[in-house]
Amino acid sequence: MVKAYGARRALDGVDIDLREGETLAIVGPNGAGKTTLLRMLATLHRPTEGTLQMFGHDLPDQAQSVRPLLGYLGHDPLVYLDLTALQNLELFADLYGVPDPRERIEDLLDQVGLLPRAFEPVRTFSRGMAQRLGIARLLLHRPVLLLLDEPTSGLDAPGAALLDRVVAGGISVVLVTHDVERAVQVADHLLVLRGGRVRIACGTSGLDPAAFRAEYEREIA
Amino acid sequence: MSALRQFRALVLKDLRLELRTRDTAIAMTLFVVIAMVILQFGFGTRETDLTRFAGGLLWVPLTFAAVLGVGRSYVAEREQRVLDGLLVAPVSRFVMLMARAVAIVGYLLAVQIVAVPLLGIFFVKGPYWGDLGWLFLACLVADIAIGVLGTLVAAMAVFTRARELVMPVIFLPLLVPVVIAAAGATHAVVGPNDMAQYRNYVLFLVGIAVTFGLVAYATFDAVFDD
Repeated sequence: MVKAYGARRALDGVDIDLREGETLAIVGPNGAGKTTLLRMLATLHRPTEGTLQMFGHDLPDQAQSVRPLLGYLGHDPLVYLDLTALQNLELFADLYGVPDPRERIEDLLDQVGLLPRAFEPVRTFSRGMAQRLGIARLLLHRPVLLLLDEPTSGLDAPGAALLDRVVAGGISVVLVTHDVERAVQVADHLLVLRGGRVRIACGTSGLDPAAFRAEYEREIA
Repeated sequence: MSALRQFRALVLKDLRLELRTRDTAIAMTLFVVIAMVILQFGFGTRETDLTRFAGGLLWVPLTFAAVLGVGRSYVAEREQRVLDGLLVAPVSRFVMLMARAVAIVGYLLAVQIVAVPLLGIFFVKGPYWGDLGWLFLACLVADIAIGVLGTLVAAMAVFTRARELVMPVIFLPLLVPVVIAAAGATHAVVGPNDMAQYRNYVLFLVGIAVTFGLVAYATFDAVFDD
């Protein structure tokens, strides 16, 4: 896939293949094209060249068929600050057509530790609490593929632990992170981007973290 | 996914946000009241009969209030970075447009509930209050046209660097036919009470609303497509 903004190529010839239940971690320095790639997978950007197929559907033409299967969490929780936690989750439950939303919402709010604050506006939450609400929004419709862009930025310890449990739970995940050690730890596959190009693509099975770190440093230097 | 459920949820969300923040409809209403008071002082005393200018006296403040309201319509999504959350959800872009248009129509109607009686108090001599139903009907049709066009332009502005220029430079000129027809319908009712002329203006407004709706239907996907 290629993604170009005018003459500048934010992604240049990236090729990925992810199977059910696998975790792919995308690492690289700032401006490497990590977020652009993730946003393409989230149907927010269309490739300038190349093809993108998810769950047997061609993107972006069949994006509406893919969107119910995706869960997207970025740096921000993607919730309205002036709505309560409950109102935010009710909104997204309706948008995703979640059956019996009240029960599901209460369960998720309980899991993220926000049930006692369900009726309070998100504006009164700390950054970590808001991001935990973002996790509840992410999981609300039981997505098949999670697209996570630096999800731990601003996340407090309970939220990070919850997210780790979700990622380890057998769901397919594409994770964008700066944290190379975490990427090696949680992912089945690693993709190192720099300047929009793939520098390293490898599996983590039998991978020596120290050797990978050294190779990573060489590639992004 | 039920489009109706999504539509209802998006409209309810806008209503809840407005009830909590109270920063769009109230600002628009205040603007219109202040503008009409200034116009009242500017044109003279209550003794002056301004009935023949009623259309302009109502619709010039309403037009600028619409620019104000439409300009604020994606502020929450932009400032609180929620737009990505909506765009990755399996919601038809047209449902998003219609829900936002309904919210804008609601804001405009709330303003007109104050502005239309003020027109009678400040500027119109002679029979007025019996025609309120006709005036509000014209307002509603004009509001639908403004709401659909405004949502489309406001969505375009979200992705534009000079977004504060989009409203006056693009939205305002596109509103001209709506304002002409709405002011004409208002004048036809309040002035000569010419219902044939009123009907023609309202039908013209319906035509504009339908045209804007078709343009929005054809283009709204592309607006949110990078």
